[in-house]
Amino acid sequence: MLKFLNRDRLSYAVFFIAIAIIGLSVENYYYVQLLTFIGINTILALGLNMLMGYAGQISLGHAAFYGLGAYTTAVLTVHYGFSPWLALPCAILLSMLVAFLVGLPTLKLSGYYLGMGTLGFGMIVHIVFREWSSMTGGSSGFIGIPPLEIGPVSFSQIRNFFYLVWLTVLISFIVSKRLIHSRIGRALRAIHDSENAARAMGINTRNMKLEIFVFSAGLSALAGFFYAHLVSFISPGTFSFIVSIKIVTMVVIGGMASVWGSLLGASLLTMLPEWLHAFSEFEMVVYGLILMLVMVLLPQGLTRGLLDIYERTRSKKDQP
Amino acid sequence: MLQELLQYLFSGITNGAIYGVIAVGFSMLYSSTELINFAHGEFVMLGALGLVSLWGGLGIPLPVAFLLVVIGVAVVGFLFERLAIRTVRKPNPIVLVIITVGASIFLRGIGMLTWGKDAYSVPPFSDHDPIDLAGAKLLSQSIWIVGIALFFVILLHLFFKKTLTGKAMIACAISKKAAWLTGIPSERMVLLAFFLSTGMGAVAGIIIAPITMCSYDMGTMLGLKGFCAAMLGGLGSLWGSILGGFILGILESLGVGFFSSSMKDAIAFFLLLLILYVRPGGIIMAKDIKRF
Amino acid sequence: MNEPDRKKTSHKPLLTLNSIAKAFGGVQALWNISFDLKEGMVQALIGPNGAGKTTLFNLITGIFTPDSGEILFDGRPIGGKKVYDLVQVGIARTFQNVELFGSMTALENVMVGQHVRTRCGFWSAVTRTPWMVKEETASRKKALKIMAFVGIDHLANRRSSELSFGWQRLLEIARALSSSPRLLLLDEPAAGLNTVETRQLGTLLKKIQAQGITLLLVEHDMGLIMDISNRIVVLDQGEKIAEGTPREVQSNEAVMSAYLGRSEH
Ligand SMILES: Nc1ncnc2c1ncn2[C@@H]1O[C@H](COP(=O)(O)OP(=O)(O)OP(=O)(O)O)[C@@H](O)[C@H]1O
Ligand SMILES: [Mg+2]
Repeated sequence: MLKFLNRDRLSYAVFFIAIAIIGLSVENYYYVQLLTFIGINTILALGLNMLMGYAGQISLGHAAFYGLGAYTTAVLTVHYGFSPWLALPCAILLSMLVAFLVGLPTLKLSGYYLGMGTLGFGMIVHIVFREWSSMTGGSSGFIGIPPLEIGPVSFSQIRNFFYLVWLTVLISFIVSKRLIHSRIGRALRAIHDSENAARAMGINTRNMKLEIFVFSAGLSALAGFFYAHLVSFISPGTFSFIVSIKIVTMVVIGGMASVWGSLLGASLLTMLPEWLHAFSEFEMVVYGLILMLVMVLLPQGLTRGLLDIYERTRSKKDQP
Repeated sequence: MLQELLQYLFSGITNGAIYGVIAVGFSMLYSSTELINFAHGEFVMLGALGLVSLWGGLGIPLPVAFLLVVIGVAVVGFLFERLAIRTVRKPNPIVLVIITVGASIFLRGIGMLTWGKDAYSVPPFSDHDPIDLAGAKLLSQSIWIVGIALFFVILLHLFFKKTLTGKAMIACAISKKAAWLTGIPSERMVLLAFFLSTGMGAVAGIIIAPITMCSYDMGTMLGLKGFCAAMLGGLGSLWGSILGGFILGILESLGVGFFSSSMKDAIAFFLLLLILYVRPGGIIMAKDIKRF
Repeated sequence: MNEPDRKKTSHKPLLTLNSIAKAFGGVQALWNISFDLKEGMVQALIGPNGAGKTTLFNLITGIFTPDSGEILFDGRPIGGKKVYDLVQVGIARTFQNVELFGSMTALENVMVGQHVRTRCGFWSAVTRTPWMVKEETASRKKALKIMAFVGIDHLANRRSSELSFGWQRLLEIARALSSSPRLLLLDEPAAGLNTVETRQLGTLLKKIQAQGITLLLVEHDMGLIMDISNRIVVLDQGEKIAEGTPREVQSNEAVMSAYLGRSEH
């Protein structure tokens, strides 16, 4: 147990130092911004991974919570003059409240029906963003979201924003890891492996799923908050169905049930469009192919899949 | 007032027939494989854009183009089953959802690469004047749509009830193991189910082409509405699906007419969530859904 | 595990079934089943395939509710209670087809068994309060102790899906035991085990009984049943056809013809 904790702490320390080094050494504005986006997407992927990878419940509408976070802070800061730091808890709480209300009936569903249910929910929220123009600016979007600042530190400085986002990523990792290696995390993984047996062990599967759904929505809203204040402009397109799929792809590629996999998946998927810049037309084809190929070849995702292959070859060597 | 109502009804029935045909595709596949194909809408898109190219572009006579497109799209569905679905090692729902969603994005991307981002339209199947009924106009294309939709559903019905292959498919749906014991090749039945289901998707795309703007991204919404219709009528039931389609179409057009057109798409999703929560067996078929 | 003073001398019924009935669609899976299970006893439930044994387990554990009749646990009716409430009051079970949490280690599986005996929630998991750390350590220790009791502590850190079938069966028992049950329901615990393993299982079940835990087991292995059970209830096609001591049941005509005569066991 102690050993285990130490290994985790070590990886956090390495992670922290890596953030500091990257933050200090990368000069190019564009790259710092790209890295910040990766951080935001990591939070997003982590949120869905907790739900999908650990508890085994699919959501095809997670962009809705991302959007709720972004739009809530936009509306509160611009229309009602809130400080962003006051808008942040409001955004997260609202998102969690919506997740609670939606999850109550939806999480009774499973498999395909949960997929369709969450998809439908995501569509409705997207339509609301688009049609409630007086609040959200409609399909032309919402401009003029103020930048973040704490006292003298302004986060319109991209480097500061980078630190802010990545420290949040680190904290989210610690929180998620702690959850996973606790009674709650074990119960969630139990639901994933066998819902029947989990129920027979006295786990209130319905409450458990609901709680992780709400937690996951909270993380997504946090990501949305950062996005809104980083870009200062949001539009419904940023929170559409295809974005929900993008989040699923991050989780699937990086590896379900792997916290570090979320980082990997988010990094790959944020940089992919940059690499494919010349062929942005191919973006969708590539996403689709990735999803299918990973599911067919490495259903555990890259981190887990490669780790499994490594373990298998090693154990083969062990047994002559 | 009556005239307005009638007009909405016409457009509702027209759209409803299309939703119904899409729903039938979902239902058929579900009843023989227990799979829900999230990419189904993209086959509708392929059908519509296929017709745009063959009939509108190359000028191939309509009946021939119709047939070619349906067969072509069904072959794509066939390949999809072979290459993506069959190869899955652990076919649990979450994996299959992700694979079919992946296929949907992939096909949409292919659609965009092939036809670009433009929207196309084709003329109605025949240029008769609209029929005037109590002041409301009934377009000739509407009659074509409803007629063709019913024609194909009846055809499917006869196929399942009268032919040996059709009966075998139903047997497979009822019990894979029993079907296997009696020597019905269930793998081939699954392939056939994909073939027919995606073919029906293409039919829906073809008949809708003249009354909508056809573009690479039209499939998702249509697919979702088709699924909604199938859930409404009872997933797995042929006539239930068609009925669900009509109900959805009519409710939608009444909603647009009397409330606001911006809420059109939201109606389908509210209905979908409602039915998922309240009566997942559909309004007609109170059959338990297995995955609950 | 730490309550050895509940001896099997107390002979009040721990579980009482009063004319239980359950039908699935047209199939009458159980009809008019009544029997008592005295505290500290090992009671076997036997019957041919499809007799309704597993269904009876599902009724006792609250997965299904009976169509009619009532179930009393420790004198209190438990009809309509949720599964997790029943685990809380002390009913644990294993499954006919082993249902472990495959992606988790053996130790974690056993720790999940303690779910209802521990309290740590979302918030305390995240903040790692001192009591939560203490609870976690205690829970781990208890799990290891139970694994040692069952004889699988050397497997603690192996992934449960990698274990051999015999170990998996034992792990399921350990997982059930770790919820500190008063009544343990075992669904065919010896199925798939070889003769040596079955003999060891018999010894383990006696050890469990000596801890004061009441056992109700479904089993096809007559040797094991005759060896360890105090009483036997026989079901056939959803009805109880006999009940008594192993000796009585063995010589019962109805059982001979309905069960032993017809099945290959
Ligand atoms: N969930 C269910 N839905 C429908 N029928 C069921 C269900 N569970 C059990 N049955 C039916 O109830 C009857 C009793 O089944 P049960 O599993 O209890 O038998 P069993 O005694 O455990 O048999 P075995 O020795 O094969 O395990 C069978 O006819 C079975 O088909
Ligand atoms: Mg059984």
